Amino acid sequence: MLEIKNLHVRLADEQREILKGLTLTVKAGEVHAIMGPNGSGKSTLSYVLSGRAGYEVTDGSVTYKGEDLLDMSPDQRAAKGVFLAFQYPIEIPGVATMQFLKVAANAQRKARGEKEYAIPEFMKLVKAKAAALNVNQDMLKRPVNVGFSGGEKKRAEILQMAVLEPSLCVLDETDSGLDIDALRVVADGVNALRSPDRAMIVITHYQRLLEYIVPDKVHVLSDGAIIKTGGKELALELEAHGYADIVGKAA
Amino acid sequence: MNMVVANTAAEEALGVKLPSRRDEDWKWTDLKRLVERVYIAVEAPTAKAVDALVKSAPLAKVAAERVVIVNGVYDAKRSKLTGLKIANSAPVITIEDALLTLNGKLNAKAVSLSFSGNIDTPVEVLHVSSGDGAAIASRLHITVAADSAATVIETFVGDGEYLHNPVTTIDIDKGGKLDRVKVETECARAQHLSHIIVSLDARAIFNDFTFTSGATLSRQNGNVIFNGEYANAHLAGSYLLSGKQHVDTRLIVDHAVPHCTSRELFKCVMNGQSRGIFQGKVIVRKDAQKTDGKQSSHALLLSDTAEFDAKPELEIYADDVVCGHGTTCGDLNGDHLFYLQSRGIPEAQARAMLVEAFVDEAVETVENETVRKALIALVHERMN
Repeated sequence: MLEIKNLHVRLADEQREILKGLTLTVKAGEVHAIMGPNGSGKSTLSYVLSGRAGYEVTDGSVTYKGEDLLDMSPDQRAAKGVFLAFQYPIEIPGVATMQFLKVAANAQRKARGEKEYAIPEFMKLVKAKAAALNVNQDMLKRPVNVGFSGGEKKRAEILQMAVLEPSLCVLDETDSGLDIDALRVVADGVNALRSPDRAMIVITHYQRLLEYIVPDKVHVLSDGAIIKTGGKELALELEAHGYADIVGKAA
Repeated sequence: MNMVVANTAAEEALGVKLPSRRDEDWKWTDLKRLVERVYIAVEAPTAKAVDALVKSAPLAKVAAERVVIVNGVYDAKRSKLTGLKIANSAPVITIEDALLTLNGKLNAKAVSLSFSGNIDTPVEVLHVSSGDGAAIASRLHITVAADSAATVIETFVGDGEYLHNPVTTIDIDKGGKLDRVKVETECARAQHLSHIIVSLDARAIFNDFTFTSGATLSRQNGNVIFNGEYANAHLAGSYLLSGKQHVDTRLIVDHAVPHCTSRELFKCVMNGQSRGIFQGKVIVRKDAQKTDGKQSSHALLLSDTAEFDAKPELEIYADDVVCGHGTTCGDLNGDHLFYLQSRGIPEAQARAMLVEAFVDEAVETVENETVRKALIALVHERMN
């Protein structure tokens, strides 16, 4: 599904390189966790995959379903099934959540040459998925993320993911700012979306999230490159010994 | 020093001296320079042309009754009245202003509407203007009786390189309420020079929203005068400008008595080489204690060559008041844009959505749901 080879990325307005030869292969049906200390390049990876402006790829490639992902605009990537759950979901005043979901879903369908949703059918679909995530009707009427609590924002992100049904989900620190109950709701939502056709990259600083979303593989990202890969037990090892231990050994 | 400046050909034809940048209130809108061509009285447009323009009115479907004014003259045949009282006289205006003088010189014919009781459905006053080089003036007077309520939509459509000078006066009696929506969708070659004067008696409520998007030059003057206590005026508007459009709104809110509230909210979008201006003055007179007056104007500049100027003024002579103003100006937020795109919405569509959301904050002040939805649809149509 996704093949990242020797990816080098720097911020467009500075010389500083953030990703320094990152290589990662993710197959359909797999859940990969990417763990790493602050500043290791975790969020940069999520933004480069989703196509945010301001990042310059200086070397390497990203191939998604056989196509050059880096060649596509953010909306093209989304239409082809790439979804980023933001660490800090953006508030959009004046755009109602339900309206936003409808426009997004239909824009993707249109781009794929599929028939657009009729309004009643779509509302029904959203309401069913929203109920499972404790997203109430009031939240759907309110502007996107405006006045939502931290937990509400993360649940709204997972709702978007559930409605848009992407093939590749990138979850950027989805656990940050969540208490244990909210974490469970979000994790249940994510787990419900696990499928043989779908891959997930779960970016996190802490092992806690991985107790709920159990990964197939865990990668340690440090200073812009993956320095260690293992199974889910690697996360426990990190929790017990900290990043310094592994980062030290690798260096 | 009093300099004598020769009249332009346009001034000679209109019979007035036009204000220039030497006048403080007109420093951004120098009519002496901007009114270039000679406008004169022209023959009424053909029935076919008028019918087509009437049909093009964007809010036609939401009004139950309609007053049609063609080149400044009431058109009984095309109007649709079911209970509305209409007359052809209007009170003499005592305020002095260039656009009011012009209205007199052009011999504007008065159309007067009076509302009594609670009128549920909106009434539209549709101004249809047509003719290259036409000088057109209209004079509308609206009265709302005590404890009565009405919604009036004033729509402007047209075809040709004309100058339109509409003057509207509104008197709202004690406890009366008027919701007014102005839709300035004049022809893109037209010049629109309007003036509105609103007098509010005690406990009167005036909610006003102006959508400005049509004429190449639009100057909209407004005076709101509080004559009775506990009255409330809410003035909102939005601009949707492109090309070389020039729009200047000049509002003067006069708190002459205590305990009145005024709100101004303008959300202006400028693209291309267009220029938007908002000048809002709030006067709080010595006796007008407990005045609550706030104004804000916000601009979205979608190109490097667009411009927005704001001049908020507070003139306060009372000591126990709450007054304030705020202005912002900027481009679309890049984070917002990326978030929408990351969900599959193409850039152009995402931009339009964000612009509409920006403008809709002002549209939301329109209370009548049908009218509000029609305005949101109009903004959407003009964006796409």
